[in-house]
Amino acid sequence: MEKKRANDEFEPGPILPSQSVDRFEFIKQEQNSSEGLSTSRSANEHEREERRIRKWRKIIGVGGSDWKQYVRRKPHVVKKLIRKGIPDCLRGLVWQLISGSRDLLLMNPGVYEQLVIYETSASELDIIRDISRTFPSHVFFQQRHGPGQRSLYNVLKAYSVYDRDVGYVQGMGFLAGLLLLYMSEEDAFWLLVALLKGAVHAPMEGLYLAGLPLVQQYLFQFEQLVKEHSPKLGQHFSEEMINPSMYASQWFITLFSYSFPFPLALRIWDVFLFEGVKVVFKVGLALLKFCHDDLIKLPFEKLIHALRNFPEDAMNPDTLLPLAFSVKVSKRLEELQQEYEKRNGGTLPKAGSTNRLLQAIKHKELSIKPERSNCVQKDDPSPRILH
Amino acid sequence: MSYAYLFKYIIIGDTGVGKSCLLLQFTDKRFQPVHDLTIGVEFGARMITIDNKPIKLQIWDTAGQESFRSITRSYYRGAAGALLVYDITRRETFNHLANWLEDARQHANANMTIMLIGNKCDLSHRRAVSTEEGEQFAKEHGLVFMEASAKTAQNVEEAFISTAATIYKKIQDGVFDVSNESYGIKVGYGGIPGPSGGRDGTSSQAGGCCS
Repeated sequence: MEKKRANDEFEPGPILPSQSVDRFEFIKQEQNSSEGLSTSRSANEHEREERRIRKWRKIIGVGGSDWKQYVRRKPHVVKKLIRKGIPDCLRGLVWQLISGSRDLLLMNPGVYEQLVIYETSASELDIIRDISRTFPSHVFFQQRHGPGQRSLYNVLKAYSVYDRDVGYVQGMGFLAGLLLLYMSEEDAFWLLVALLKGAVHAPMEGLYLAGLPLVQQYLFQFEQLVKEHSPKLGQHFSEEMINPSMYASQWFITLFSYSFPFPLALRIWDVFLFEGVKVVFKVGLALLKFCHDDLIKLPFEKLIHALRNFPEDAMNPDTLLPLAFSVKVSKRLEELQQEYEKRNGGTLPKAGSTNRLLQAIKHKELSIKPERSNCVQKDDPSPRILH
Repeated sequence: MSYAYLFKYIIIGDTGVGKSCLLLQFTDKRFQPVHDLTIGVEFGARMITIDNKPIKLQIWDTAGQESFRSITRSYYRGAAGALLVYDITRRETFNHLANWLEDARQHANANMTIMLIGNKCDLSHRRAVSTEEGEQFAKEHGLVFMEASAKTAQNVEEAFISTAATIYKKIQDGVFDVSNESYGIKVGYGGIPGPSGGRDGTSSQAGGCCS
């Protein structure tokens, strides 16, 4: 995908009322761009949507109180519902419930605030440099030092303090940015922790550890899966010397939040948070399958372009996702992971290590006592945020 | 479009020095002050003319952050030219040049042509590295040097083209076995045939630069 381009004449500053934004508040590149989702819906559709939301609300219960029990009783119903898409107005809450981040938040009151206010991070300058290069075409993040940029900075800084081994790595900002559009800073922070430390699924901190070991593993797995699921295309890629790092690094590093149309990215995230990273592979394979007949004819340069600029119909979640769900990868993913580990002689952290996670948090709590030398002065209550 | 030669480039340097902007200025002739940061690698291509011969440049633009080197390193292999970029307003980006060079020497082929670029020379009021220092560093390490501005386009064409001219000269001098694609060079129609003979470049069967 080509990187999202902001308007050339864009000047950072207050948002002009004349700027036209889409349903997800991205500034439209063209006034007349069709985007399907923002068009006025028929009364029928509206009613169906209302019914869907009511159903979801009932399942979730007040503030999420009924959720866990419902998932335990009817996991398959939940899976099916989530695959159809979480209603936008409930997305933030449901994401926190299915990722396990809500529990982390409740177990760690005050920790986020401490990380933001009292700690300094070696990554502060790096984060600031990248803030304006993260979703620059979204109204929330566009305004220089505006609330969006400040929240993004705070979440990334807090994480870089929370996990000093990972610190801040480019790409994390897109995850945090996506989350911030649906929840508060603190909630977004804990969801990031839940993902990277593995509250429910295998920890994904390897995406951002030195050398990006998990990205390397995913690219290896994906390359093999392409060969197995689309042998002709795999062969064509080999002949043209195309490898997944050329087009799929961004998919894995940002879990599709970097350059995919928002409506699609959100639907992928719904499933990703519930079912885990395998959906990223499924979507990647589905994209290649969907465009197979075009891709197979293209020479190197055009291939690279096509792999970064998928056609609009391929980006329609209601077309792409059913195709993705039909791709079976779980078993092979596991085998390929073992194969990769054998080749590279090492293993990455394994799934669901909640104890390890809790230990990590305990350890962090100890490490953020205010008397540490690198804290801001105690009598300075102002958060260390962008000035 | 057919070419006499195809050269592969890589653009390297610290994060935020303007690598993607240099590439965009070269391929699209425009400057984008606000853009997404580069995750992994990006690609660009353009035709130029050297010695009346059409030359295709295929350029990989890389993420500058240290963590990404495990991915971007594989793009050194099979690159004929590299633009090593620093920001004249940020001293630390100049100080890191030696690391970048070491990385390049370790992972690229020995004959890769490296052009050192001091970018953002339009911001001379915020200059933190003098032109002389840039020149001196380039001289010490056997690099070609230019200051450039992706914003004003000053020296952008020149940087990419003079790198190509240097590579072209090396071919003429017989430095490369052009039939060996690991040097990041391919012979197309109208090029000097290597042992494998002149090939038709119209199908642009160019390979990637890593495996």
